[in-house]
Amino acid sequence: MMNRVLTSFNTFALILLFLSFVFSVFSIKTLKVNNTQSMKVNFFELSEITETQKRLPRAKPIEKIKEAGLIKTKEINQLEASLDVEKYKISKPDIKKELSKIKLSKERTEILKISSIIQDKISSVWIKPNSLSKMLTAKVLINLAPSGEILNYELVEPSNDRIFDNSVLTAMNKISFLEEIIGIERGIFESNFRNFKLVFKSSGEIE
Amino acid sequence: MRGLIFLILVSSNNIFSILEIEILKGSDNLSKIAFIPFGIEKNIDEKYGDQVSSLIEKNMVLFGEFENLNKNEMLSFPSTEEDFYYRDWKIMGVDYSVIGRINSVNALGNLNISYSLFNINRRIKILDGEIVGNENNIEGIAKIISNRIYEKITGLRGIFDTKLAYVVNSNSKTYQICVSDIDGQNEKILFSSPSPIMSPDWSPDRKKIAYVSFENGFAEIFIQDLISGERESINALGMTNSAPVWSPDGKSLALVVSFSGNPDIFSYSLNTKRLNRLTNHYGIDTEPSWSPDSKKMIFTSDRSGSPQLYEINVQSKRKKRLTKDGSYNARGKYFPDGKSIFFVHGNNGNFQIATKKLSGRFISTLTSTSLDESPTISPNGNIIIYATKKDENGYLAGLTLNGKSRFALPLKNGSVREPAWSPLLK
Repeated sequence: MMNRVLTSFNTFALILLFLSFVFSVFSIKTLKVNNTQSMKVNFFELSEITETQKRLPRAKPIEKIKEAGLIKTKEINQLEASLDVEKYKISKPDIKKELSKIKLSKERTEILKISSIIQDKISSVWIKPNSLSKMLTAKVLINLAPSGEILNYELVEPSNDRIFDNSVLTAMNKISFLEEIIGIERGIFESNFRNFKLVFKSSGEIE
Repeated sequence: MRGLIFLILVSSNNIFSILEIEILKGSDNLSKIAFIPFGIEKNIDEKYGDQVSSLIEKNMVLFGEFENLNKNEMLSFPSTEEDFYYRDWKIMGVDYSVIGRINSVNALGNLNISYSLFNINRRIKILDGEIVGNENNIEGIAKIISNRIYEKITGLRGIFDTKLAYVVNSNSKTYQICVSDIDGQNEKILFSSPSPIMSPDWSPDRKKIAYVSFENGFAEIFIQDLISGERESINALGMTNSAPVWSPDGKSLALVVSFSGNPDIFSYSLNTKRLNRLTNHYGIDTEPSWSPDSKKMIFTSDRSGSPQLYEINVQSKRKKRLTKDGSYNARGKYFPDGKSIFFVHGNNGNFQIATKKLSGRFISTLTSTSLDESPTISPNGNIIIYATKKDENGYLAGLTLNGKSRFALPLKNGSVREPAWSPLLK
């Protein structure tokens, strides 16, 4: 009895696995990953992509055209020269990899975008004291609600320059909301903006 | 146990991966201050309440370092902490508010002035003070209060009781050396001559001024006492002497002496009246200026073919070239912290005020006018005043080093040159 249950469970699990595999393959196929798009997003990782592509079997679309005798050899050569076929070849595992990369880079772009908005907003209210040739850093830990409300902030690493720290706290007092974070993906919020630090710096240069 | 380790790993990972956003740039805005008319006691002339706060306001906004709130925009006029409501000022965008009260001490006109400074954004009182002075010296009292407020807000020494010395050339035949408050008020003529006067410099105790006068037909250094007006020539060697600069310890003067027409830098001990030669070069060495610790000097020399700045150790006499950019760098002086210098930088016929960190490689120009000369720095290191020209008329202009403010001092009759900022009162 127990064995039968286990066997049927195993079969069920196998079927489920198979189905999910088929589905995943199918869903990837239907997702049109534009070559140029993936290239664009990952242009800084180009070298890596070319490395993996070298290991792939060569595509032969033009050979097929040749066999069909639709175009003359001379024209094919010209076409081949103008089109770097090798460069645009992407296999299925690559698509998966590309997808996760796109997701990651989208997340990264989102974080950078929001960070820069927060940066501008804080800069616009921070009246930086003339600290002359002193190089100072003060870190403020911020606790944010998903509504953008600053629930709490704390000068966790003061610069120990009274005036500099005071200017930082004064700036923080001017802001009670960072509404820029409203509408961002909950996961991105929780892992990046629920708690984050503002690092106030004085370069020590005469400005 | 394993779970615990895992938890620690995860949480520690979380701590290290916390997002940090760097804030390097501050706002271009200035801090806004409300100078609320001071409250007064019944038996005191009402005018004082407004006068004291207005004088403080005038001082604080003098160099464009702060913005003020107009009196007609104020929602209330509190003079005590009990009547003071932060929200009245917060909605006006005010960063700091100054309130105060004036009480009579006695029938001789002595006043007791108490004042407070509030940080509106942080909702805290950051300064409480009290000062007793005579009604004839309201300006002086306001300067002391202004200094304290300035120090509390900026962390820099207040400079409202410092003075400026400068040369006025009212027409081609009259040269004057003058001293005034930093706002140009209370100007006094120290010495007047039909022959050129140059290079005024303050003694560290602010009691004397050294300068060069051509009254006897050659460049001669004089030291004049500001109170008695007594003048003393220190024409030590009977030759052309120029560019006197007091050492910050007050013990000696740096000066330029020309032996057979070749200027070199010397230090002159005011006690022993002895000259100590620091440079000996066939090039022109001039415009010495002491480092804040009196151990080094900066000077201009054309030994390389063009005027450039050099630093010399007064003890070892070891020299070091400081500037290489451009064909003209002169009139060098140290910042009060001794870590940077400022000077006149010439480039394509434009002469501008520039700064350089002693440890750095690059210079940065501060001004955009083209005929700037003889810069002098406020003793707190925050403001530079220099002489510049417009239609052949010399006037004094200035800037704050955070780049937020530029200003011109009120014009006088005649050309004004060579400003020298006094040290702080000790």
